[in-house]
Amino acid sequence: MTPGEVGARLVALLGEGVAAETFGEVTVDVPASRWLDAVSTARDDAELDLSYFDWLSAVDGQDDGFEVVVHLWSVRHRHRALLRTRVPKDAPVLPSVAPVFAGAAWHERETYEMFGVSFDGHPDLTPLLLPDGFEGHPLRKDFVLASRVAKEWPGAREPGESHTGAPARRRMRPPGVPDPAEWGPEAGRA
Amino acid sequence: MGLTDLPAPMVGPPGSPYTSAPPRPGLLDRTLPDPIKFVLNWGRRYSLWVFNFGLACCAIEFIATSMSRHDFIRLGVIPFAHGPRQADLMVVSGTVTDKMAPAVRRLYEQMPEPKYVISFGACSNCGGPYWDSYCVTKGVDQIIPVDVYVPGCPPRPEALLQGILRLQEKIAAEPVSLRGGSRGAAALTAPAVPPPAGVLDVPPQDLPPSAPVAPPTAPPAPAVPPPAGAG
Repeated sequence: MTPGEVGARLVALLGEGVAAETFGEVTVDVPASRWLDAVSTARDDAELDLSYFDWLSAVDGQDDGFEVVVHLWSVRHRHRALLRTRVPKDAPVLPSVAPVFAGAAWHERETYEMFGVSFDGHPDLTPLLLPDGFEGHPLRKDFVLASRVAKEWPGAREPGESHTGAPARRRMRPPGVPDPAEWGPEAGRA
Repeated sequence: MGLTDLPAPMVGPPGSPYTSAPPRPGLLDRTLPDPIKFVLNWGRRYSLWVFNFGLACCAIEFIATSMSRHDFIRLGVIPFAHGPRQADLMVVSGTVTDKMAPAVRRLYEQMPEPKYVISFGACSNCGGPYWDSYCVTKGVDQIIPVDVYVPGCPPRPEALLQGILRLQEKIAAEPVSLRGGSRGAAALTAPAVPPPAGVLDVPPQDLPPSAPVAPPTAPPAPAVPPPAGAG
């Protein structure tokens, strides 16, 4: 099946969702209420047969909430699909797909500690990679990298900083590095 | 990070409580003739059993140093000690993370005195390219004392050879003691350090009850009849 056919078939089986093809791969957006349904349908349907669980992770969309993405692959038909759903930032809870793919349990534990997205029905939702007692969710965009606030990036980031004579661009502030006037020991002074 | 059970840093400016006292020359060092002192230190500097704590890409350079082209055995560095309790030198090569740091510390504590540490590469020197990371220890010297730092990202094998030569110069200049350096004879026999509680504890699994295995009532027939004339 082509990526377009995979997406159309999955949307037809679910009765809802939006399939979009980008870079030769199909991404199916489903509502969070149908998340478990969509993953198990993709696995169990004979024509789709997306029975190989590759990975599960999340994307911090800041005000739009978190996008949780799972990548599935069909070993028999050699096609793939990305399933994506969105959970709100203030209550990021999603049903766990560990009952469908047992290997998703560790990916959900990692997503839980890195993004703070909780998974209902997970057998053992404990931190996986971070050291004991780590506070915060480091892959969120609003996680502050204190070293970067305390010390400027030592290299040249922009044209015009490296003595090449090129005009300087507008200063960008990367995620995790708040304005020193807003965060840190200098907050509120400037 | 407030709850993380990491030990306090052991290096600091001179005079600070974190700085370990330099070894004081003992009675042996004052009474032994110089040739004997030279021979004792000479023996130690050219029989360094090394223990490679390889954590990232720098470990590949360490392995290259131990192989035939660079061959640090010609400097008396004997690679691949069976464990930390047989090692004299630990080479920390790679990115030390906060999760791995207690293990580095525990293995260091099991090494018998006198023990030396080479920090190999930018990551274990100071965090390197991960200096702003949320999970990388900013230098292995925050958890164990380091004797020689080898800079580079990754350093070439020649850099490690140079670091070993510098360490051997340092050993040759040490005051002689037969009692385990400044830390006493007890340190010569480093005991096994148990892991912190909870690290190796496996939570109880909800395994399905296995069916009781009935003892076989009759000896099973051999699946393959012995070939005729065998034996």
